[in-house]
Amino acid sequence: MSFSIFLQVLIGGLVLGSIYALVAFGLSLVYGVVRILNFSHGTVLVASAIAASVLFGAYAFNPLVITLLLIPPLMVLGYGFYVLLLDPLFRRSSAEMTVGTVLVTVGALLILSDLAAVLAGTSIRGIQVEGPLFVIGDVIVSATNLAIMLGIALLVFVIHYILRHTWLGCAIRAVTQDELGARICGVRSRTIRAATFAFSYAVVAVAAVFYAMSYPVDPYVGLSLTVKAFTVIVLGGIGNLPGSLAAGLFLGTAEAFTAFFAGTAWAPAVSILLLLVILVLLPRGALNRKWWRKWQTG
Amino acid sequence: MRPGIRSYALIAICTFGTLTSIAPAAARIGSCTDPVVFGTTISATGQFSVNADRWVKMTQVFEEEINKRGGIKLAGCSGKSVPLKFVIYDDQSNPTNAVSLTEKLVTVDGVDVLVGPDWTPIGFPVSPIPDKHKIPDVLGNVSALQIFQRGFKYIFGAPTPSVFVWSDRYFDLLAKEVNPPKSIFFVVQDNLFTKDVVASAEKKAQQSGMKVVGNELFPADTKDFSSIVLRMKAANPDVIYISSFDAPALPLINQMRQLRVTAKSVHSVYATGKMIKAIGKNMEDITGVMQWLPSLTTPYSNLVKDVLEKSDVDWTDYLFTVGRLNAYIVMLQAIEKAGVVDREKIRDALAQNTFPSPVGDVKFGENGYAVMQAFSTQIQDGKIVAVGPQDQVSGRLRYPAPTWQ
Repeated sequence: MSFSIFLQVLIGGLVLGSIYALVAFGLSLVYGVVRILNFSHGTVLVASAIAASVLFGAYAFNPLVITLLLIPPLMVLGYGFYVLLLDPLFRRSSAEMTVGTVLVTVGALLILSDLAAVLAGTSIRGIQVEGPLFVIGDVIVSATNLAIMLGIALLVFVIHYILRHTWLGCAIRAVTQDELGARICGVRSRTIRAATFAFSYAVVAVAAVFYAMSYPVDPYVGLSLTVKAFTVIVLGGIGNLPGSLAAGLFLGTAEAFTAFFAGTAWAPAVSILLLLVILVLLPRGALNRKWWRKWQTG
Repeated sequence: MRPGIRSYALIAICTFGTLTSIAPAAARIGSCTDPVVFGTTISATGQFSVNADRWVKMTQVFEEEINKRGGIKLAGCSGKSVPLKFVIYDDQSNPTNAVSLTEKLVTVDGVDVLVGPDWTPIGFPVSPIPDKHKIPDVLGNVSALQIFQRGFKYIFGAPTPSVFVWSDRYFDLLAKEVNPPKSIFFVVQDNLFTKDVVASAEKKAQQSGMKVVGNELFPADTKDFSSIVLRMKAANPDVIYISSFDAPALPLINQMRQLRVTAKSVHSVYATGKMIKAIGKNMEDITGVMQWLPSLTTPYSNLVKDVLEKSDVDWTDYLFTVGRLNAYIVMLQAIEKAGVVDREKIRDALAQNTFPSPVGDVKFGENGYAVMQAFSTQIQDGKIVAVGPQDQVSGRLRYPAPTWQ
């Protein structure tokens, strides 16, 4: 394997992995704070990506503008989804809450898929942005992929800043660490959980535009994205954002190199195998909660 | 205490209700007044709906158009015409739903004949039902030959094109070129249908003098194709053959362009209008197939044009649309040939006759399967152009493909 081929495969894996991480961020945030596995997460992303594609097709808006347009309604959707459908379940018993959240989020997944199909049709869509190619020796990198990776890096920085240096971020971390303690300090945990949902859906808006720029979307691919996001957050540690980023990048490159050496048909097996290994050896995730606490407290 | 008259009446009503609800509704055999009822399930929602957008509306428009044109002529009713009626259910792309809904169509709705469903994963479990109830069924978009090799007498398939001859006309075109291609690289989605297409295409390519220099299999949700593309570049084939449904093929084609893959010809089993809308000029010069073209003057082409226009379905977007309409047209003709609404006579008419159709003559073999060809196409200047067979179309194949050099 020559160095240029190694680099080319690595770049493909990093692009793929950064998309995986981006998809997983919102899910990790929600689970870390609200303790709900949102099965409709991928479908919300896909529906948002379809909306972004429709806006791009109809008005030729810049993807950045589309992102800014999508963030407010998605935040309202996230807030409303939590307050109206999920929060009432917190007043139930633990078993009822668990079953209820699964039913509600799976129901939302089904309704949203079909709603997107009815409103926007079932055609495959995407945001096709033509950009230059950078050629370094035998290695080719597209400007679009570079922009996506830089955008994701910027997003990680922004999320980190919000969580570390804003009142909202401090409140989210407080509720994650000790909800009762946070409430004693005057933090309304219910409001913070709803705000976390809203914040995670804002992240979904960004992820949706990046995803639509990279891959085609149709209303029924959301569940497979949610499953991939689950894999990433389990690998990286549930509720651990740096862990999700590292896990996503690791998974993407592992799949890319497996595809090169063993064949593309074997690439999905890598994520299953890694999941099994991590669950057995490091059930709290490869980047476990000790690191997360260290990162949180500084 | 002896039961009174009210009790006997109640028992009688309950018995009657039970018997009528479980007894299969009888077909309107020999009726010259009732509409002929086609029963069908369509994947209006779920994973297969991406290939069947607006087909419910299209079917309703088809019904209206046939009735506007006088309905179905029955020779056995002194040449009288009766209207057509559809009973349509959404199987939600779910085989279990399709089975129960098909049973319902026959036993509760009492339809006269069946058309569809579509797609092999749904067609397979539904296929025993027509024989069980002795009701003829024409399947327009079920490709697996195994379904028709089980001795069923009441199902008839005319998938267009058939997997065995999917790209035959494309290979025939290549063979006539001055410098025909010498090598071919296959990229195949891991799916029964796409693998069946490649199995036949590989044989045809070898018969045409091409050496197979690569055969890569990928799962449908693959996003990163850099490994496959790098192996493709290393093999340097003359022809790249992509056997995949449209959505999984799009990131592959994009990455082939990004990594500057070159070839004399790139062929995709799917090369549809919606792929052009999704990735624009990256689809340029890619060849594909289409069963039907608006420029054709084949029988019922005007009907197809009217139906597609009125239901706002773009014929280029969904490869199997005309196959669906073709199933309706073949069944209509079978009923007219039978001359009467009699399931046995309609079944015999399907088995014994040749049916002119917009996609060519349909003649079912002994196993109920009709082998159908398609036109070769190429995307030229952003449009789908028919390029073969050369004696039937005006377009010409661009070879070597300019934008892939």
